[in-house]
Amino acid sequence: MSTQEATFAASANGKPIVVLKGIHKSYQRGKEPVNVLNGLNLEVPEGSFEALMGPSGSGKSTLLNLIAGLDKPTTGTVSVAGVDLGAMSDAELAKWRSRTIGFIFQAYNLIPVLSAIENVELPLLLTHLSRADRRKRAETALKIVGLADRMHHNPRQLSGGQEQRVAIARSIVNDPQIIVADEPTGDLDRESADEILQLLDRLSKEFKKTIFMVTHDPAAAQHASLVRRLDKGALQ
Amino acid sequence: MNLGVLASRSLVRNRARTVLTALGVAVAVLTFVLLRTVLVSWTASVDAAVQDRIATRHKVTFVMTLPKHYAQDIGKIPGLGPSTYSNWFGAKDPNDENEFFATIAVDPVSFLEVYDEILVTPEDRKRWLENRRGALVGDMLAKKKGWKVGDVITLTGTIYPGDWQFEIAGLYTATRKSVDRSTLWFHWDYLNDALSDSRKDQIGWISTRVRDPSRAADISKAIDTTFDEMEVPTLTMSERAMNSSFLASFSAILTALDVVSMVILGIMTLILGNTIAMGTRERTGEFGIMRAIGFRPRHIAIIVLAEGLIIAALGGGLGLVIAYPFVEQGLGRWLEENMGGFFPFFDIAPETSAMALGLACVLGLFAAILPARRAARLNAIDAIRRIA
Repeated sequence: MSTQEATFAASANGKPIVVLKGIHKSYQRGKEPVNVLNGLNLEVPEGSFEALMGPSGSGKSTLLNLIAGLDKPTTGTVSVAGVDLGAMSDAELAKWRSRTIGFIFQAYNLIPVLSAIENVELPLLLTHLSRADRRKRAETALKIVGLADRMHHNPRQLSGGQEQRVAIARSIVNDPQIIVADEPTGDLDRESADEILQLLDRLSKEFKKTIFMVTHDPAAAQHASLVRRLDKGALQ
Repeated sequence: MNLGVLASRSLVRNRARTVLTALGVAVAVLTFVLLRTVLVSWTASVDAAVQDRIATRHKVTFVMTLPKHYAQDIGKIPGLGPSTYSNWFGAKDPNDENEFFATIAVDPVSFLEVYDEILVTPEDRKRWLENRRGALVGDMLAKKKGWKVGDVITLTGTIYPGDWQFEIAGLYTATRKSVDRSTLWFHWDYLNDALSDSRKDQIGWISTRVRDPSRAADISKAIDTTFDEMEVPTLTMSERAMNSSFLASFSAILTALDVVSMVILGIMTLILGNTIAMGTRERTGEFGIMRAIGFRPRHIAIIVLAEGLIIAALGGGLGLVIAYPFVEQGLGRWLEENMGGFFPFFDIAPETSAMALGLACVLGLFAAILPARRAARLNAIDAIRRIA
């Protein structure tokens, strides 16, 4: 799918929940500035499941971090769920992330000394929910990802696929509008990867979550409703 | 689950390291408690000094003596109650010359009047007063030496050379814990009669009760003024001040103990800080994830500080659990029996326990400040990248 097709598909699917305009992002490496993103514009429609592909160093993770409110552009504006992220302080961004964004990482990144349900409950510690309500929501999230029978297992007692499903449960427990996934199947075998991708597909279709996934894997990208390609800091 | 649970769970991540660190803290707290208890016990005589008792000695040093008639002269000064006089005898048991116990020559009748915290049965009292060679011995010393009433013992004089025979006339206990129950008291007359003319009728110090303790300072000054005009000037002070001046001769040791106890806590802080720092470094990625999902720097700092506090409290508690039986049933009783002159009682004061646990917790928090600050300042992206 070309960039034009992608843009068309995006606009055709509904109002954009992510809007990036004129994004430049550069880092200082020693004395040399390194440009990562060059004048990038992007609109992601609400409820879509998008995949972002591109070679290493193309700026995929940087773009993901900007959308997730973990980083700020050098120039340009980032608006997510109707909020201009550039105008927010670090503390406001942290609070915003906890309500709006769900994170899925390649290495699952569960806390090994907590059980599956405790890992899922973790983001809810930042809310005013009671202990019972937190537990109830965590159980529901685990049921959605099909791990109701593994709630009290520690991460090391779970397979890689199960760990990633716990991480997905953690990402949805706060009922975020957007889920950002950075190589969510990178550490999994094909079968487990397909299960995870089907789960993400379900979250998009059934629960109307906007999913923005960075991947190297063309098979994974096929699950997305839209595939974007990034190279040398620009969308192709 | 809450942040505290999260912190305590983090400590079981590397059980061996946590246990060893807690043991390190426990040993530091145990050592601290022992050293503080030595200090408290050693200085207890100052705190436990009777408020209405003053002591008069030679102005230069308590090693130099006063004329005996001072004991009578002092009674003429208004505001004073009964008084008594004593000489440090400094004898040793020839069978064990390295062993120390106090031997003091006193006037028995006035001694028991002025030192009314000494408890003697009426039979023992009568026996002691009637026997010129009689000695009144602390029950702890008697138990240790195997002495019984009626035994005749021989001690070797150091200040007053020669072999001195005594008959154990009675045993004493005390109404207050701070009284050394390892002293041998005997008749001053028995000593005086055996001395050459040049050493006769000399006393070491005079102990006097004052009727109004609030006037002790004024009366002390009046005594010294009176004797300033006589052949030997005096220095009179409250019992507390006299005990303090005696302890001052050990001030270097006391200061050293004080410093060492603090140094031990300092070392404990460094060990704890290193352990917490290692733990946080290993969890850089986790903290990155937590920051990403919305945890604020202060949340991360609280978790790390709580880890420091928990491990210090655990170690401190363990140290106290070890310290109590060790001191109360082992070391303390041994010191009281063998070094009662320095440690009439050797118990862990509640203040010492509270101080040890409190300091351990405060230093636990202090040790975690730097790792907490570092963890809280982590950039989420950099932290996550380290595990990617």
